[in-house]
Order: sequence, then C-alpha cells, then structure tokens
Amino acid sequence: MPAIPTLKISISGVRGVVGDSLTPDLLTRFSQAFGTYIGSGRVVVGRDTRTSGEMVRQAVVAGLLSTGCRISDAGVCPTPTVQLLVRHLRAHGGIAITASHNPPEWNALKFVGPDALFLSGGRGRELLDIYHQGDYTKARSHRLRGVEDVPDAVDLHLDAVLGAVGPLPAGRRPKVVIDSCNGAGAVAGPRLLERLGAEVIGINVTPDGSFPRPAEPTAENLRSLCDAVRRHGADIGFAQDMDADRLAVVSEEGTPIGEERTLLLAIEHVLSQTPGPVVVNLSTTRAVEEVAARYGCRACRTAVGEANVTAGMQRFRAVIGGEGNGGVIYPAINFARDSLVGMALILHRLVSSGQRVSELAAALPPFEMVKMQFPFPSQRLRDVLRRAAREYQAYPQDLRDGVKVTLPDGWFLLRGSNTEPVMRVIAEADDAGAAHALAARVREQVEAWVTEPPRP
Amino acid sequence: MKPLKIGIGGVRGVVGETFTPELVVGFAQAFGSYLGRGRILVCRDTRPSGPMVAAAVTAGLLATGNEVVDLGICPTPSLQLAVGWLGAVGGVSVTAGHNPAHWNALKFVRHDGIYLTASQAEELLDVYHQGRFDKAGWDAIPRRVEKAEVIGHHLEVLRAQFDVARVRARRFRVAVDCCNGPCSLLSPRWLEELGCEVLAINDDPAGPFAHTPEPKPENAVQVRAVVKAGRADLGLVHDGDGERVSLVDEGGRALSEEMTLPLAADMALQERVGPVVTNVCTTMAVDLVAARYGAPVVRTPVGQPFISEAMLDHRAVIGGEGNGSVAVPRVQPTHDSAATIGLLLSHLASAERPLSALADALPQTVMVKEHVPIEPNLIYRALQDFRDAVQEEAEGRTDLADGVKVGFPDGWVHVRASNTESMLRLIVEAHGTARARELVDWAHDRLGR
Repeated sequence: MPAIPTLKISISGVRGVVGDSLTPDLLTRFSQAFGTYIGSGRVVVGRDTRTSGEMVRQAVVAGLLSTGCRISDAGVCPTPTVQLLVRHLRAHGGIAITASHNPPEWNALKFVGPDALFLSGGRGRELLDIYHQGDYTKARSHRLRGVEDVPDAVDLHLDAVLGAVGPLPAGRRPKVVIDSCNGAGAVAGPRLLERLGAEVIGINVTPDGSFPRPAEPTAENLRSLCDAVRRHGADIGFAQDMDADRLAVVSEEGTPIGEERTLLLAIEHVLSQTPGPVVVNLSTTRAVEEVAARYGCRACRTAVGEANVTAGMQRFRAVIGGEGNGGVIYPAINFARDSLVGMALILHRLVSSGQRVSELAAALPPFEMVKMQFPFPSQRLRDVLRRAAREYQAYPQDLRDGVKVTLPDGWFLLRGSNTEPVMRVIAEADDAGAAHALAARVREQVEAWVTEPPRP
Repeated sequence: MKPLKIGIGGVRGVVGETFTPELVVGFAQAFGSYLGRGRILVCRDTRPSGPMVAAAVTAGLLATGNEVVDLGICPTPSLQLAVGWLGAVGGVSVTAGHNPAHWNALKFVRHDGIYLTASQAEELLDVYHQGRFDKAGWDAIPRRVEKAEVIGHHLEVLRAQFDVARVRARRFRVAVDCCNGPCSLLSPRWLEELGCEVLAINDDPAGPFAHTPEPKPENAVQVRAVVKAGRADLGLVHDGDGERVSLVDEGGRALSEEMTLPLAADMALQERVGPVVTNVCTTMAVDLVAARYGAPVVRTPVGQPFISEAMLDHRAVIGGEGNGSVAVPRVQPTHDSAATIGLLLSHLASAERPLSALADALPQTVMVKEHVPIEPNLIYRALQDFRDAVQEEAEGRTDLADGVKVGFPDGWVHVRASNTESMLRLIVEAHGTARARELVDWAHDRLGR
C-alpha cells in the first residue's frame, strides 16, 4: 500500500499532523483564503485543548488579520460554542481549531460560514479554489484590525442550553460522572451539569490537551468512566470528545450504551415534548425510524457529515437530528453537533421517565452495529467504492455518500473519511454476530480490491 | 518593483504588499531553527500591523518548538535587556523603527541581547532560503505563550546605572514626543523617576504615529512648541522603537540628530577615556570631540550589529550612529534611547550650563543628507558607477567599508545603499553650508543623477 499522507485538505477543512504536514505556513495561508472568502469582517476563533492549539491559533490570527478581519477570540471552547458565537456576534464566519476525535498529533481547521454552519459542498469548494489560487486579500496597514477576547463565550453557550432546555425539575438531582478527555468539554461540561442541577463528578476535566484516553468516545475508550460510574454509584456517565461535539453515555451499571443510543435518547425526549421531523445521516441506525414512529413522526436521511445533516434539518424543519456517532443537533439552540445539548436532553429524559439508563436503553428497538476503520490510501477511494457498488449491484444501494447496501438481513455502508486516510465500514444487523460477520466480510473484500490495479 | 528588504538588518517590507504573514512565519521558523530550542522573546511597536505580525512570528517560533514569551508593546532595547534577564536564547522585535506606519520589519536579537551580526544574519538567510525548518511534534510543541512585563526591568537597570538622586535634585522640566510609539510606555516613566516634570505629547500607544517616527529637526515641530510654551529645560523626540532620540534645547532650537552622539560621547569621555565606536557616515564632530580627550574612534559599516560588535571588541566607552542612536555600554552595548537620556540628564545635572551651551561647545559642522531613490535591481550598479567615477581623482582618499566614502581635507562625501529602503543615501559633511553644497553637487555630478 502506498505511504499514507498526513494531510487532508478537503471541502470540510484542512487537517494534518503537527510537526509534519500541518505547518504554520499552510495554516496562515488557509486562514488568508478564508478571510478573503468571507470578505473580511468579524471572525470567531476557538480551539480545543490540543498541545498544538496555540501555535495553530497564532497562525490563524496572523492570516485572518492580514486580510483585514477583526477577530473575536473565544479561547479554549467547544466547537459548537464557536458556531453559536458566530450567530450571537453576527460574525462573518468562524474557525474552530480542532481535530475532534483524531489522535493528539493531529490538528485541523473547521470553517464556519456567516450562517453559523460549517462550510461544505459548494462553499467548501469555493474556499479551496481561493486557497489554491493563492491570490488573497492583503489589507493595507490602516485597515488592519485586532483581536478581542470573548471571555464569556462558554457562559453564553451554557445560558443558551439552559434557556432552551431548562434546569432539571426540582427535587431530582441525578449523580453524573463526566469524562471530558481533558479536552475543550472540560471548560463547559461540568459547569453545565451543575447549572442543570446535577451532582457532578468529573474525571479527565483538566483542559490541558494530554490525552488520558483516545479521544473518540467509543465503548473501548470509556473504561475509566465506566469504573467511576460504578464506584460512585452514579446514575449516568457522559463522555465527550476533544472539541465536545460528540457525546457517549454510560449506564448506571457502568456499561456504555453505544453512541447510536445517545442520539436515540435525545430524540425520545424531544419528540415527547415537541413532535416533528427527525433528520439523521445514512450511517445512523435504522432504529431512528422506529423511535420516530413511536411518536408518530418521520425520519429523513442525508449524506454523512454535519453540514449535510444540518442542511437536511433546515430543509425538513426538523425538531431534532444528528449523527449516530453521538452527535446530537438541537435546532432550538443551534445547527451544530453539541454534547452540551445532548447531556441536557438526556438528563431530562432520565429524570422525567423515572427509569434507569439501562432500562431506557433496553426499551429502545434492538439493533447491533459494528463500526470498523482501517488505513486506506485516499487516492484509491473512488475506484474501490465503484468496485463495491458493482459487486453488490443486486441489492438496493444509496450512493450519496460512499456505498450503502441494504441486504435482506441488515445493511452496510462503506465510505472514505473526509478527515483521515482511512476507510470506514459500518454494518447493522439484528444481532452482534451477524453485524460482525458482515463488516468483516466487506473489509476483506476491500483489502483484496485495493491490491488490484485501479480500473481507468 | 515592490518594497521588500531582506538583509543583515532583518526583513522589512510594506504591509498589504510584500510583508505577508507567510513571509513572517517563514522567517520566524528560520530563526527558531537557527537558534535551536529555547525561550524567545517577542515584542512589537505600536503599528497597526503589529498584532498580525507578532502572531505570525509566534506561530513560526512555536512550530519550531521554541517557547515564546510575549512582551506586548515595548521598546526594542527593553527586549534586548530582558533576553539575558529571562534566560532566553534570543528575541524578535516587530518594528520598522523609523519607517512610516505602513512598513513593518523583524529584528533578530541573539542570546546576549545584541542583534545578529552580519555573518550570523547571512546564516539565518541561508536557513530561511533552504526552507527545511525544525518541526516540533505534538509532544514537544509549547502549549501556551507566557507574557512578561520587561519595561520595569529596563527601568531597574537604568536606575542602577545612573546617579538618579543627582538628577532628581535638579527637577528638570522635559518635553518629550513619543510619537505614540512604544517609548510612550518607557520614556515618561523614566523621566519621572529622574524627578523631571514631564511634558509628554504623542504618548498614547493606541494612537497612530503622530508624524514619521524619525527623530530629526523636521519632526520636532510639536515638541519645540511645547518646550517654548512650557519653558522646558530640554525636549526629546523618539523614534518608533526606542533606539534613537534627537534633542531640542531650552530655547526651542531643534538640534540635528547627528549631535546626539557627539554630545553623549563628550559626556562619556568625561567619565572615562576609551574608544568611541561609530559608523563611516556619522559626523566628524565625533572625531573632533574624541580628539579633545585623546580617545580613539573606531568606524564601522552602517548598522547596529556592527556597532555592537565593535563596542564589545574594543571595550568602547560609547557608541552610536548619526541617526540619533547611542549605546551606553554600562546599560547595554546596543542603541537605547532611555540609556541615552540617563547619560544626558546626569551630565546636564552637574553641568553649570544649559543644553544650548553644551551643544554650542560641540564642533560645528554642516551635514547634508539626501535620498536618491533607485529601482532595487539597479542600486549596486549605481554604486559601482559612482565608485568608478571617483576612483582616479580620489585615489587614496576612499573608504569602501560600506558604500563609498570620499575624504576631503575639510569634509567628506559618502554614498551607500540603504539597508532598509530602495535608495542610495548621500551624506556630505563640511565646515560650512557653502562648502557642503559644493560637495553635494560634486557627488551628484559623479552619480550621474
């Protein structure tokens, strides 16, 4: 297999490895391209706690200022806080400095448009064109602006969540353990839980960018959270990723309920209060349709990617949406994946149901999903995906984003990552054995196809 | 062609044209790679582009694994003194000194607080051009930028080096024009500590440059008015980064910036006789003053790195250049207008006479300085043509250390390429205006311009 590049420049931003491909030169030029694209004006900048965050921030600030932008610096904060501030400050755009769940050597820029949504699709391509053309706005000296700190950025976000969801009913004070992975969630998560009225026990809540566990809040990375939930006899455990957009839930038994169920619990609470359409991406569990049906609501599917889901939510006037990776999007606050909103909704669900987390999880429709990812050279993506589509042409397919094949006893989705040189396989079936077998079979096929010479 | 100067004086250009964040990031990475990992101080002057440039410098230095200490707005000499104090391996001052506000530049300071020498600056340029910079991985990259306040330390050193009590006793009244530059944060405080009644103008670092930040009589109009209206004992005009200062006497007369060094040299030599260092095109009043004390004068090429290096080599008692910059080695062997003020006021305090009398007692010469703008690609050609044109008639009287200096029995002519702008600088000195004009015409004839 050819060497795997450590830089991903795509319509969803620029992502690379610090000390390798993610140089300050690249970052400052990308920021100039963004400043040029949005036509100067105010830009919100925030970052997660990665060790490279300050270097990246300085490069971004230099690039933006040189195009005449005025910067509102939110400091260390969740990515959804950046999106919220763009709207709140009526900014022309935002840059979130985070490689969300990637390992510590990565960092990235995510670009937010004036509508507080991530740039993607056409707008992402326009930004890339400007970057590649290299003809950036150069503001004359007297037109240069400065950097203003927004010290209350996180407070604004917490106020918004509490305003939309409300504190927990009086007299109910669930005991919650939160694991913020020493990421940006540490500056917001514990405070939100306290303001909601929970009893809070924090682990990994020092926002220093040391990775006490891999950042992705998958079951295998949540051992210390599970232990803490059991040890403290807590009602629930929450885990955030580095930029606090995704959320995982651990039951009172100390068992991760699976990221798909994060979204399902949030959907249940919202639909129980305000029935309406649900929008999720095509790699999220088919249980979404079943849960929505229980409340007489419908679910719509979009391509993978936060921007696609938020666009779909706007189109279908969704009351709730998100992604099966623990990304809850609640439009009453913002069109952004937001672990803070997720925690607030799920705690409300927990308290108002009077049930335990394990009981709530058990009451959801049964399904098993397997997610696998393995290294894959980005340049082979197209032809290997075409090969997969040919192989399974006898079955219904959705080709909006990778290749999704619905088989008689389940489905699988094969897609490249926008952010890393990896291939992802997601398979869902009624039981774990069948889901595993399906995912493993597809992975084997992909690894065989990539050794074949590409077809023209 | 667009103005950009990359050379031994650092890198300098116009913001919004050539002085881009990529360029700055590249130079910062080159400097970080060149010094090796350690602590590096970063300061800036008050130009509108300062925050942009300082951020680019910081990004580059962090990327090479260097710890950055942000000094915010402060005079370059305050940074230079702080390098040793804070245990840093070097510093970067973001300032274009006397250039207009739309310029900016990086000045590179080494571990001992003096600028990179010419040969070190060339090594830095090689690192920059090769482009293979040190890259710190995620576990080595500094996570945060510390801040430090170094002007207080600068004042502490100044207090220890001058007889503050003696100056305080005189209760001088001093008008000072900080040009809204970084000296706004140092100079009035220092004067107050010296017991002066301070009449400060243009001392708002958030304001725009009140005039071209070059201390010379044509920029002293405001401070002259303040001296006269406020009956001050003297007036001071600062530059954009705290290296140069020019003087206004108690009568409101603006002294040429060339006179700052001879005056300071006279004072330093009264304390101790030793070598005086200056560059090839500084007034011959320096030689005449030194001769009164039997002190040798060492002439260097133009540029502060040369002055500092020669001052260390020759154990000089004073150094400086004709642009109003003076280095007082007991404070630091590098241009420092606050140290210049300390020397000046401590001598004025014990002198029986006012500044005007001290100035009048200096050798009186006439200097003419002219700029000859030239396309950047033709500068050295023009200089070479001039050298060829004067070679025969000036046989034995030329000094080629920096540009071409031609000596006459009663004066001199010097033509050199500017280190900072796309032009030739023509400087002429003689004992009288008429003779000076003659020499200017002589030079123009041979420059063919």
